[in-house]
Amino acid sequence: MSAVIEVKGLVKNFGSTRALDGLDLIVEPGQVHGFLGPNGSGKSTTIRVLLGLIRASGGKARLFGADPWSCAVELHRRLAYVPGDVNLWPNLTGGETIDMLGSLRGGLDPGRRKDLVERFELDLTKKASTYSKGNRQKVALVAALATDAELFIFDEPTSGLDPLKEAVFQECVKEITGKGHTILLSSHILGQVQHLADTFTIIRQGRTLETGSLEHLRKLAASAGKDPGSLSLEDLFLGVFSG
Amino acid sequence: MAGLAGTGDAIRFALKRDRLILPVCIAGLVGWMAIYVISYSGLYGTQAELNALYESVAGNPALVAMTGPTGGLHSLGGATAWESLPVVSIISGVFAMFSVIRHSRAEEEDGRTELLLASGSGRFAPLAAALIVTAAALMVAAAGYLVILAAWGYEVGPSVLLSLAILGFGLVITGTTAVFSQVTGKARAARGLVGVVIGVAWLLRAIGDTGDGTLSWFSPLGWAQQTRPFWENLWWPLLLPLAATGFTVSLSFWLLARRDIGSGLVQPRPGPSAASPSILHPLGFSFRLQRGTVIAWTLMLFVYGFAVGAVGNNIEDLVSSSAAFTEALGSVGGDLLDSYFASILSVIAILGAGFTISSVLRPHAEESRDRASLLLSAPLGKLRWVAGHTLIAYAASAVMIALTGLGLGIGLGVATGDFSQSGKLVAAGFAQAPAMWLTGSLALLLFGISSRLSSLAWALLAGFVLIWTLASFGNLPEWLVDLSPFSHVPAVPAVALDLTPLFVMTALSIVITAAGLALWRRRDLL
Ligand SMILES: Nc1ncnc2c1ncn2[C@@H]1O[C@H](COP(=O)(O)OP(=O)(O)O)[C@@H](O)[C@H]1O
Ligand SMILES: [Mg+2]
Repeated sequence: MSAVIEVKGLVKNFGSTRALDGLDLIVEPGQVHGFLGPNGSGKSTTIRVLLGLIRASGGKARLFGADPWSCAVELHRRLAYVPGDVNLWPNLTGGETIDMLGSLRGGLDPGRRKDLVERFELDLTKKASTYSKGNRQKVALVAALATDAELFIFDEPTSGLDPLKEAVFQECVKEITGKGHTILLSSHILGQVQHLADTFTIIRQGRTLETGSLEHLRKLAASAGKDPGSLSLEDLFLGVFSG
Repeated sequence: MAGLAGTGDAIRFALKRDRLILPVCIAGLVGWMAIYVISYSGLYGTQAELNALYESVAGNPALVAMTGPTGGLHSLGGATAWESLPVVSIISGVFAMFSVIRHSRAEEEDGRTELLLASGSGRFAPLAAALIVTAAALMVAAAGYLVILAAWGYEVGPSVLLSLAILGFGLVITGTTAVFSQVTGKARAARGLVGVVIGVAWLLRAIGDTGDGTLSWFSPLGWAQQTRPFWENLWWPLLLPLAATGFTVSLSFWLLARRDIGSGLVQPRPGPSAASPSILHPLGFSFRLQRGTVIAWTLMLFVYGFAVGAVGNNIEDLVSSSAAFTEALGSVGGDLLDSYFASILSVIAILGAGFTISSVLRPHAEESRDRASLLLSAPLGKLRWVAGHTLIAYAASAVMIALTGLGLGIGLGVATGDFSQSGKLVAAGFAQAPAMWLTGSLALLLFGISSRLSSLAWALLAGFVLIWTLASFGNLPEWLVDLSPFSHVPAVPAVALDLTPLFVMTALSIVITAAGLALWRRRDLL
């Protein structure tokens, strides 16, 4: 079976800034893939290319083997996305927003919706204008997790969640993978994804530095003279790749 | 007062943030005034020309309703003041509204005020800074009007009065905006409410000026006009905006002291925990986002139509005093009231195109607030989403301008007992729709080219307004008048309905809309 996400030599220019400079990313079916890089390294830009929201300036990007720009609508039926910074419609309640977003994807499973709302302890009757960043993120998470997508793309999904809700999110991710779905998880903090992901891609300044399992990355760290047990993303950047 | 601590820093920050936009706005206000000064000085150099102007305008109820009392038109200063005062006042009011909200409510909504207060600023500092910056900008603009007027040889005393009258209106709106920014927690809602205040101010004096004048005294725009610069030169009405500004500013601080930071006095109420089926469809959802604006505009235009229709009957008296105007109308060949209603509908359509633009540009608002990616990552389709909003914009524009015509008909019917004109007036309203669509399609074209260009649509509308005001006197080159779509709408019901320009404009709107959508499909989301 071919890769769910296949990105090769991806380039994206915004005017004179080069946000992506030959990035590679392969995600196989059923993987939970950690997409790591410091702020401004190009994670969100890559995801926006994969969602067909912006067009690549060069290189290749394929989702389920198809071009994300020209086949956007067909591909979006098979995926769910949660942005890092969730902005909602101030006059709609959380419940209305979840249902509306769900309806765009062909409707939600009501039982699953109820279960997720309880676990994330979300008050659905509040207007979005009164939600905190974390609550807005929960709304987008519930709307995404209650769908039956084949691929889930989370861009820094837990940046606004408290530790308890982050644990709920981790449970949800495990349930999804149990069903064989594929997940792309971006983060600038290794700790947020290292317990969830089975493979990783690490990028910096729009380029892929390394990709592989956590084991593989540990070995790299060890060969650079670091203690593999206390491996952190910072070590990876400072000790392994830029050294 | 501890509450004001940090005001100086907040002012410096606001000035730094607006170092580009603020000078541009002030230059725009002064430039607008300069256009009147220069064109009036050029057009009405002799007393004979002024007398001709007076003859053609004094009895024209549409111009009185749009602009104001015409008693000062015998002098160049009076004529310039007559036209510039209300227009420049309203534009400076709109500027004041945006400026105050930008630096107070919008900052708070985005959570930046909280940071500021946490770092030791007093709770009154952001509002005080917003008011001071806005008032100072208005004062600089007023000084600019004075310089322009004096440089073109206008008498200094009345020029000062004119500049102060415009400044007064701007300050009243500054204070009013400050109050509404406390009441509601949302910048958008606050802007909507202040917009209604400006609209009502204009409407009250329009009704007053075409009637016995009483209602004009209930409007801050009316107050500005009661100074009658270059004519009766009354200074005491300036006390009214002064008092109103003092009152509204005090009230806003009083309210600010009694509410939580980050929200308004009116808290959003909880709503349904599940969506109604009406928003579970993309078009239904888009309409839900636009619903409030659509209803507000439709109501406003209908009420305005009704009010104008109800007093329309009195117009005959006003006009019979002006032989030249009756003659001019005779040459158009229409009934007096009909041409009055036709020009009212034309103005309302130009103003209503403001709705068309903002409604067509709704996806731009969604895009710049970063909500579009949530929708467009679902299987919705870029094209379908924007086309839906455009459809809503065009349909609502047509409905509201037709309802303005209906309002005219019903108002007239209530006053005279004869409702038979209503059908004709609805059709006359609807005849304006293609010009509104064309304006909207140009906005969509700009949006399709790039997100950043979208706001240029407002400059386009300002151009159409300017063309309309200057063309009312028939002294603008033909090709310039022809640039505005609103110049091509036949003046029904005063003249026979010629469908050709309407079909041409409709076809053009369709082509430009298609081009705008095609460009949008090809471009990146912001
Ligand atoms: N629309 C845009 N216009 C210009 N530059 C952009 C735009 N979007 C992203 N960038 C730039 O591209 C780089 C990558 O950004 P991003 O993909 O958001 O990084 P990350 O998500 O890894 O933090 C940054 O330098 C950012 O400033
Ligand atoms: Mg990012």
